[in-house]
Amino acid sequence: MLDITNIKLPLWQLPVFVLIPLAVFALAVFFLKRFAYKRSIPTEERDWSVPPIADAIYDSVINRWDVRCKIVTILAFSFAIASLKHLTPALFAIGISSLVLLISRTSFTKALLRLLAIAGFISMFLIVMPFSVPVHSNDTVIIFGKMNWLVFNLRGLLLAATIAAKAVAITLLMEPLLSTAPLPVTLHGLSKLGVPEMAGQMVLLSYRYLHVFRHEARRMSSGMQVRGFRKHTNIQTLRAVANFLGMLLVRSFERTERVFDAMRARGYKGRFPEPAELHLKTSDLLITALWLAAGSALIIFDRIICQG
Amino acid sequence: MHISDGVLPISVTVGGYIAATALTAWSAHRSNSRDLPKLAVVTAAFFVASLIHIPFGPTSVHLLIPGITGALLGPSAFLSIGLGLLLQSLLFQFGGLTALGANTLMMGIPALICGWFFHKFKGDSMMRQTITGGLVGAGGTAMAAIILAALLFTGGEDFLGVAKIALAAHVPVIFIEGLISAFTIRFLARVKPELLELSFKDPAKDTHA
Repeated sequence: MLDITNIKLPLWQLPVFVLIPLAVFALAVFFLKRFAYKRSIPTEERDWSVPPIADAIYDSVINRWDVRCKIVTILAFSFAIASLKHLTPALFAIGISSLVLLISRTSFTKALLRLLAIAGFISMFLIVMPFSVPVHSNDTVIIFGKMNWLVFNLRGLLLAATIAAKAVAITLLMEPLLSTAPLPVTLHGLSKLGVPEMAGQMVLLSYRYLHVFRHEARRMSSGMQVRGFRKHTNIQTLRAVANFLGMLLVRSFERTERVFDAMRARGYKGRFPEPAELHLKTSDLLITALWLAAGSALIIFDRIICQG
Repeated sequence: MHISDGVLPISVTVGGYIAATALTAWSAHRSNSRDLPKLAVVTAAFFVASLIHIPFGPTSVHLLIPGITGALLGPSAFLSIGLGLLLQSLLFQFGGLTALGANTLMMGIPALICGWFFHKFKGDSMMRQTITGGLVGAGGTAMAAIILAALLFTGGEDFLGVAKIALAAHVPVIFIEGLISAFTIRFLARVKPELLELSFKDPAKDTHA
């Protein structure tokens, strides 16, 4: 005999409990998106491959922290968060991540943009899971009116909320991880940690040319618009976009040849000069130890206390 | 659709990283090591291409292009896709950092299969290349969708509903992607056919030339 708690609610409450929160969430995402884009468009995406002129913009505990310790700690902590199974420790993790974001003094707008980027994928879980998880014993389900086929399972909602909380907690850490040091320094730290140097160089090169090719694509698409092209759902659009894509690839491959020739002409032999010298201090290790202790505490909390 | 942080069980994320690292190393080994900087620049082009949005009724879909990447880069495609996804994750949060291994497998394995299929069956005529291009475009996306659903399902039966919806959401993309790939391959066959010959193949290791 299954031990299921049934809560019967009249049909009119379906909009109150399900549709209205959904609409509020969608509206909030929409307005936040407009707000964030408005704030980020004038300054454009900052090109991290350009070294900063002054070190003044990098001034916080996280910035002064040794880049190797930073990478190892934040990655380990992210995996610790990803392994959580209950909502309460995941909410604590959001607290820790927000605190780090605050200390690192990175841009809130960019952190917000990152959260908005995952909003679509995460809301799929929040919407689908309460209705799709199979009903087990000890579950609490809500049935609206006579619609017996539409079972709202609170366990599914809890599961989806845990996933959402973990995703938010990890996403909030990405700005402190990446924008508290120039990208070449972060990659240098990675290569000191044993990642092949070529991998870091490839990231740096594609990152640089990403911006170049985006400009190229923008130029080509304004050219198409000037000639009267508008996107619609039809085969002509697909053909035009495919030609656009092909042209972009042809131009990029040709530019790649020229770039590579130019690099070799300047004496490139598979190495870039070192962007920074790294010194490990005791305080660096202290922060790492402290943070990893917090991560372990979260896991212990998750596995022992929440398990009851 | 890229998997974000916190969704997959920890064993799958770690296993995904290990498998993806091994395949990336194999892919780098199969590419000419002198060509790696070049491959990095080409990756940027695929990255930009994947940002193109196609209107689909009231919404729009963006291209995944595992098929074209595989067709143009062959065995190097896995490395290129891993790099591209790393950048997407770092810059735009498309796909979580902890799920990077799983995401790379999801896009990279179809690209490798598509690359092999395209070069096996493309033939010489433009018509045949167009059709093969369309097949790998649609097939690559379909395989990616199936792997995505399978990865989501590793979370247990609770994730079955989400996996089904994710699979269904990819159906229109499969058709669009197939048509776009066919047209793009046709364009490349007319404009720069040498791109369709594997440009990053290590001549020393090339046994079936």
